[in-house]
Amino acid sequence: MIEVSNISKQVTTTEGTLTILDGINLSLAAGESLAIVGPSGSGKSTLLGILAGLDLPSSGSVSLNGQDITAMDEEGRAAVRAKTVGFVFQSFHLLPGLTALENVALPLELQGDKEALKTAAYYLQRVGLDHRTTHYPRQLSGGEQQRVAVARAFACRPVILFADEPTGNLDTGTGEKINDLLFDLNKEEGTTLVLVTHEHNLAERCGQRLVIAAGQQVADVTDVTDVTRGSVA
Amino acid sequence: MQALRMLLRTWRGGQLNLIIWSLVLAVAVVTSVSLLAERIERALTAQSSSFLAADLVIRSSKPIDPQWIAGALEQQVESAQVLTFASMVYHQDDMHLASIKAVEASYPLRGLLRRTTTPFTTDPSLIEEIDYGPAQGEVWVDARLLPLLNIELGDEIELGEIRLKATQIVVEEPDSGGSFGAFGARVLMNYGDIEAAGIIIPGSRVTYRYLMAEGASGTDGFANYSDWVEEQLDIHDRLITPDEAQASIADTMDKGRRFLLLAGSIGVVLAGIALALASHHFAAGQTRQVALLKSWGIAASRVRSLYLQQSLWLGVGGSAIGLLVGFAFSEILIAVVREWLPISLPMAGIRPWITGLATGLLCLAGFTLPAIWHLPAQSPLAVLRDDVQVEPVSSVARGLLGIAAVAALLFWYSNNLYLSLAILAGFGLTALATVVLGLLMLRLGKNTGQKLGSIWRLASSNLWRRKSQSIIQMVGFSGAIALLMIMSVVRTSLIDEWRWQLADDAPNHFLLNVAPYELEGVRDLVTDQNLETAGWYSMVRGRLTQINGEGISDEQRDKHESFRRELNLSWTTELPEGNKLTAGKWWDELDLSGDIAPVSLEDELAGELGLKIGDELTFSVGGLVFQARVASTRSLNWDNMTPNFYFLFPEGLLENYPRTNMTSLYIPPQQKLLVNDLLRQYPTVQVIELDKIIDRIRSIVSQVTSGLEVMTLLILSCGVLVMFAAVSLSMSERLQESAILRTLGSSRRLILGIQWVEFSVLGLMAGLLAAIGAEAAVAMLQRFMFDLPFSWHPWLWLVGPVAGGLLVGVLGVGYSRKAVTQPPLQVLNSL
Repeated sequence: MIEVSNISKQVTTTEGTLTILDGINLSLAAGESLAIVGPSGSGKSTLLGILAGLDLPSSGSVSLNGQDITAMDEEGRAAVRAKTVGFVFQSFHLLPGLTALENVALPLELQGDKEALKTAAYYLQRVGLDHRTTHYPRQLSGGEQQRVAVARAFACRPVILFADEPTGNLDTGTGEKINDLLFDLNKEEGTTLVLVTHEHNLAERCGQRLVIAAGQQVADVTDVTDVTRGSVA
Repeated sequence: MQALRMLLRTWRGGQLNLIIWSLVLAVAVVTSVSLLAERIERALTAQSSSFLAADLVIRSSKPIDPQWIAGALEQQVESAQVLTFASMVYHQDDMHLASIKAVEASYPLRGLLRRTTTPFTTDPSLIEEIDYGPAQGEVWVDARLLPLLNIELGDEIELGEIRLKATQIVVEEPDSGGSFGAFGARVLMNYGDIEAAGIIIPGSRVTYRYLMAEGASGTDGFANYSDWVEEQLDIHDRLITPDEAQASIADTMDKGRRFLLLAGSIGVVLAGIALALASHHFAAGQTRQVALLKSWGIAASRVRSLYLQQSLWLGVGGSAIGLLVGFAFSEILIAVVREWLPISLPMAGIRPWITGLATGLLCLAGFTLPAIWHLPAQSPLAVLRDDVQVEPVSSVARGLLGIAAVAALLFWYSNNLYLSLAILAGFGLTALATVVLGLLMLRLGKNTGQKLGSIWRLASSNLWRRKSQSIIQMVGFSGAIALLMIMSVVRTSLIDEWRWQLADDAPNHFLLNVAPYELEGVRDLVTDQNLETAGWYSMVRGRLTQINGEGISDEQRDKHESFRRELNLSWTTELPEGNKLTAGKWWDELDLSGDIAPVSLEDELAGELGLKIGDELTFSVGGLVFQARVASTRSLNWDNMTPNFYFLFPEGLLENYPRTNMTSLYIPPQQKLLVNDLLRQYPTVQVIELDKIIDRIRSIVSQVTSGLEVMTLLILSCGVLVMFAAVSLSMSERLQESAILRTLGSSRRLILGIQWVEFSVLGLMAGLLAAIGAEAAVAMLQRFMFDLPFSWHPWLWLVGPVAGGLLVGVLGVGYSRKAVTQPPLQVLNSL
């Protein structure tokens, strides 16, 4: 499903070239889940962006669902994203002028789905927000907003779901509920899940863990806690 | 449809309010002004015709050629004959030299006659408007003829060989405007009674008028006929067009129209600035949404198409609302000015609607599209990283596009190069001064602020830190203030200029031919009524007998009545007020001790008589002859209603000739019978009654002024919108900072104090810079468009900064009150 071969990412700054990622390799089969873990500034989000086709690596290749997205132009990658990818973000990224239902329906509408509102209502019900469909994001709590975002991500029936610190802005209790929801839906829909997280509980629920530190891939580590603790200390 | 759905949702979310309002206002201003201008233009054409009582008139000193009348019948053109002359009318022992007007049944062809049966009434409910004249055997008379002849309505008066029954009082004739020659009370009679009266014999001093108007044959038929008649005119005939007929109000109307145009243009520029600011603000709020769309795999081309479609819907929708609002506004404006417009105000054509719609679309293309153009290039990565932002189209390029759009709109809309240039120059200068001086001021403010209290220190640092945003806001504020000041100055100077016309006691009667021995008596009579004159002027009546030593030829006499009659000659040392020298030199630059006295002529008359500087003229005053040389020509101001003279001499030449005196004075309607007393006691005194004309002018001027006030309000609302747009530009950042300060425990005083200082300092600086632009633009407008003298406006330099500081300060603080009235987290969540 996802094949990553030796990717690296460099950026040019006024102080010279900075290497953000170097020599990352991974392989993830359909329906599996992967947690990308590492300390702040280690390059997790950059890697997620590259895996999802939002950014390009400086070298190496990424293949999603059998298609080499690094060889495509932006239009091609957009087409792959449209068919394959869904997102859940740390800061939810709901559109403030749209109701919960409209937020969920928007990507479907943009894909020309005639049943967009119906599907959106179904997924809102799946995340337990069928009584909040006409509420605007400002009228929802943080947990509810993220649930809307999860419903929006799954409503498009993505093959791969990318989640960037999905519970980073939520308290532990609410975060747990969102995680449950994410994994339940992932299981039911058969989606491949890639998530970036700081939380070892969340990482432990994934089948695979990729640990990076200072842009380098650290060998498979089962105890995520040690790495993150070690870097903080 | 997806684009429309997205647009409606964005609108519902409140993010489009400023853009829509700016667009609606731009379109509404242009539409209402265009509609009004076009409808008034059409109405004025009709109105001008009513001033003539026809579409065209031929005035002649000989009877109308019967062939013309036959031709009119044949070519289905409306026509009517009118005769005017002075004749004695009698009732028993009383008599009066009346001003008789004999009209055919079809008179008036355009406009309406107003008549009543209640003498001296001004009550409109007692006055009837009709489109026909008196029947045979009847006369309609001036109210003051009743006491002069001691008659009542229903009595008969004698005119020549016949008796005619006075049945109505004539209050107003459509074609009485500008008629300075009617000295006696009006007697309106039927043309059919002329022959029986036997008063017109060959050689009688009669003015024949031939009235023509479009009939069943339409515009082309009328044009053919009038061309045919015009070819047959000789030196006795003169064609009078509607433009000439309304000369007395033409200037007022013209300036009114120009002001309307100026106000409309300023409205367009203001709404444009508001739209530019609002679009900038809107685009900033859309970057995240675009990144999100792109992360979902929506291609850049689709994003561009979605935003272009939304812009188009926005343009069409906003323009449609703008057209409706503009229409409603033009109806309000028309309701205000309706009184002096003809009852059936013609509908406007399609042009104003097209102008309005085009304004909306052009504004959108010039201001909104450049602001959102970069959005599709936004990287989808921005959903993960805040530092990934696409660069918007450079502000210089956006500025140039905006200026191009405004220039195109201004020129297309006003069709007036000076107006467009003055507004652009005023705004451009203000913007340039704002960028250059604004930065200096901000820097100076920062340095000074550091030495003051914490509020000042924080506020001045904030302004400097946000300098590029501060400058954009300042351009918005100063542009709006400058344009409002330009409009206010021009409006004030126009209304000042018209003040005499609006003044209740502007002179409305001229007294002429008052002999020196009558002067004291006439003066007493006027003083007894507690009335004041505009001062007494002496004049001598003389004939022009030779030009450069050659006598006046018959041809010249036929050509111009000044060669046939006695002229009014007067003298003065100073150039009279309102007179302007157009050629030659005034007395103080001449050697007055020469053999031949200098004379100064009114320039239009000099042109008509073919006289030029240096010509030697011979005058005959009561048989005594003297010579004078044309030393200068002058233009006169006919608006001030004080005596004006075509021929002026220096003092010391005419004083010994037999002279008469003249003056002008205001006689209120309730004291109108003074004219009768005066004429009874001093039958040789001539009274020119201008009260009806002046009332009409005054009513028009006051309506035009009210129209201007309404327009000013509309433009003011545009100005306030710009202020709102500029204030809201930095608001989310400010609210965020304030909420953080609030979280850290800062007092309400500190937070609002910072906002107050920031905004009022911005407003104060903008007001000062606006004064520079406004003064420059006003100088251009006064010089080239309104023909007013240049003057400094010290109040601009005071009012600009003070009003700017207060207004912007209040708006800014009002906007940011949320930061201290709501919990900080709520404020942060709402951003």
